[in-house]
Amino acid sequence: MSSAVSALHRKEKAAVSLAEMCSVRLGKTLFGVPITHILEIVGGARPQPVPLAPSYVGGLIHYRGDVLTTVSLRQLLDLPPRDGPQDILVLESSGGCFGLLVDSVGEVLTVSSADFEPNPSILDERRRALFVGAYKLKDSLLVMLDPERLDPMRLGEAQPA
Amino acid sequence: MALDELTREFLIESQEGLDRMERCLTELEARPEDAALIGDIFRSVHTIKGTTGFLGFKRLEKLAHSGENLLGLVREGKLIADRPTTTGLLQLLDGLRSILKSIECEGSEGDGEDTALIARLEELQAPAHTHAKPAHAKAGVHAAVAVADQSQELHAVAGQAAQDKPPAEPDPEAGKARVQAVGSAAESTLRVDVTLLNRMMNLVGELVLTRNQVLQATASDPNLTLLSRRLDMVTADLRESVMKARMQPVSNIFSKMPRIVRDLSQSLGRKVRLQMEGQDTELDKSLLEAIKDPLTHAVRNSLDHGIEPPDVRQAAGKDPEGTLKLRAVQEGSHVVVEVSDDGAGIGVERVRQKAVERGLITAERASQLVERELLQLIFLPGFSTAAAVTNVSGRGVGMDVVRTNVEKIGGKVEIESRPGQGTTLRMRIPLTLAIIPALIVRSLEQSFALPQGALSELVHVPPEKASTAIEWLEGAPLYRLRGKLLPLVFLDRLLMPASEHKGSTERDNFIAVLNADGRQFGLVVDGLADPEEIVVKPLSAVLKNIGLYSGATVLGNADLALILDPGSIALRAGVTMSSNEEAGRGAQEEAEAGNNQEYLLVEVADRRAAVPLADVLRIEQLKVSRIEYIGYRPVLNFEGQLLPVEDSGGVLAGMAGNPEAQIVVVVCREGSRQVGIAVSHVLDVASGGDLFEAGTTARAGGVTLLKNRVTGVVDLGGVPALPVAESAPAEWDQYANGTAEAVR
Repeated sequence: MSSAVSALHRKEKAAVSLAEMCSVRLGKTLFGVPITHILEIVGGARPQPVPLAPSYVGGLIHYRGDVLTTVSLRQLLDLPPRDGPQDILVLESSGGCFGLLVDSVGEVLTVSSADFEPNPSILDERRRALFVGAYKLKDSLLVMLDPERLDPMRLGEAQPA
Repeated sequence: MALDELTREFLIESQEGLDRMERCLTELEARPEDAALIGDIFRSVHTIKGTTGFLGFKRLEKLAHSGENLLGLVREGKLIADRPTTTGLLQLLDGLRSILKSIECEGSEGDGEDTALIARLEELQAPAHTHAKPAHAKAGVHAAVAVADQSQELHAVAGQAAQDKPPAEPDPEAGKARVQAVGSAAESTLRVDVTLLNRMMNLVGELVLTRNQVLQATASDPNLTLLSRRLDMVTADLRESVMKARMQPVSNIFSKMPRIVRDLSQSLGRKVRLQMEGQDTELDKSLLEAIKDPLTHAVRNSLDHGIEPPDVRQAAGKDPEGTLKLRAVQEGSHVVVEVSDDGAGIGVERVRQKAVERGLITAERASQLVERELLQLIFLPGFSTAAAVTNVSGRGVGMDVVRTNVEKIGGKVEIESRPGQGTTLRMRIPLTLAIIPALIVRSLEQSFALPQGALSELVHVPPEKASTAIEWLEGAPLYRLRGKLLPLVFLDRLLMPASEHKGSTERDNFIAVLNADGRQFGLVVDGLADPEEIVVKPLSAVLKNIGLYSGATVLGNADLALILDPGSIALRAGVTMSSNEEAGRGAQEEAEAGNNQEYLLVEVADRRAAVPLADVLRIEQLKVSRIEYIGYRPVLNFEGQLLPVEDSGGVLAGMAGNPEAQIVVVVCREGSRQVGIAVSHVLDVASGGDLFEAGTTARAGGVTLLKNRVTGVVDLGGVPALPVAESAPAEWDQYANGTAEAVR
């Protein structure tokens, strides 16, 4: 697995290491995505809906000459859809590029592997499949997302729409 | 399978070598004495053998080695390249190819056994085949073996090794020639990965869009206009160059045909001469790949069903040797690839019989069909006229596959056949896949793109007429298109079955009449936007799996639009193969009005005129100012081509003072050229019957009966060719009078 998160995970036992995470906000929760997987952040986009697509598909956006499929994090977490433009993280996974629709993109945080905890056991199965774990920040938690697990192809296999 | 750079290079080079060898071998049959050909073949095999030894592919080396021995004898003139030898060499070629394929796919040579083939090749070297004395032949074999052994050494020492070779061996020379050939090609060409080209094409598409936005943003600033104009030009040039880079000559697939024709004609006992024309016509690489199978199939069909055995031909008074002609020619934004034979043609009675036998059509309907409609039946799935299933054709891969494959890439297939004289299959292929003409339609407040290739016409049903125009049969919406019931598919209901939609009486309805895989249906959308040339972008697998979309595109206004796939829509909506009904309906009409033809009814300066619908390519609405003049002749710059515009009705003349006025130009096909006809309006499409002069049975020329009115047919052949600079005035008068009469 090429994910930086899991790499971090492995190193945890050996030594404390630092990593940079891009924070994104969705509703009240703060999520983190390793910046090494982010190609670009597209602000204020309005994706084109695709009728008959699986529910987690947030629509299509035009990105550098290609048409990118986006994944709606709100849909994945069963949150009500949000009106108005959203921010899109263009992520790279082993299956290619895709966009992740989030409410807003925040600052880049430097986190230490010492603060990492895996998913709590009381988390529901769906979320447990999407999240890697969380970093304990000073006043909140940073829930880690794994781009590989959010890839629309993977999601398509996991939950046939 | 990841292969190292050296092996990949070797594979590509060997493929090219084998392709060349195949071409030479088929030629060799006609000219067995040609030393240059033999030399070329020898070099191909020799190169493969040399490199394989180096890369350690033992099986390949052994096979190439025995082939080289045989070729060595032929080259020295100790053996004639007779038919068995050529066949053996072709088998060698196939053997080498299959090993190369296995290396490419699995990274290893596979565990096949070549002993039989090697034994065969050795057998061919046997004295019985040589025309020199046995002792000499033996010496020849030894010499060849000796040379072969030496050539296993590295190329760097090849020159030195050559000095030790027997003097009869002209290898150093051959080697030099090869080096020269490789050198000159390497200097001017470069191998480029297709994925890189695709990426470049994508980026150019992006640049075009950015340019459009820049042009819009800078339109008001005179300082920037010059710069943005320049950007505009450079972008257009760049786009053209990148597209050109993807083009490959048709000869890439034509060159495979001599071998196929040779093998087939031998196994079928036919005598066939293959003629090829227009081999340097260029086509996008992916399209070329896509038509390879249909073309091969068409060639097989021609040999199996078309060209008769020599004795039958002779009995029919024809040359015992049949002719198969492959022709490629560019016509506007299409390339036409033709496969024609001078064989027996398609027996329409057999087609009728078979179609009934296979249950594709009822006997009653079949008896009403005319020839043209019967010919269309061969494109139905499950149709094959082969009396017995041979290993050549009739294996279930029918003409329907040819049609499906060609339609998939936005092309069209036509067939013409004359009993006893031959059959012509014509494939009309768009120049490039990446950019297709499409009509942008609106539904669900979104834009969708419909490929123009599938679109036959558009019908507007305003809300107040919807309740009567759209009829319902137990929940199935239908529209009467010129008296025939057309199944309708509402795009919004299809795409969002769960939600409520406006009734057809509450909004405008536009029916796009689509033809896909032999199905005809009407797709109902809320609105129409302009036709646009769209750049097709692939969709991610998740969205491709939905099945309704063939891609997406970015429109001129930077909006995204999904490209609809008419075939899948028909399937999803349950529109069945309507070819039976289609054909039946046609027959009814045929029965009603005799030899009817469909016409486009137009109005030219208050008069009605008709244009044969089969000849109409497109109907363009444009500003009068788009029309330019060469001398007296009005012309239109249409998709980069000069189109003579016919204006005998005086439509252009009447609007001369008003450059902003809109006119309609009907673009027609006339023979191999295209002409435009200026008209005021397009009224309808109707089928017209022949008129007979009172008291005679002679058909009146140039007129037809349309909607019970006598209507003049525009004489497309009467439009003179361009340029007409010197003789323009006289010819113009004459032709104007001529067509004015026809229009009247």
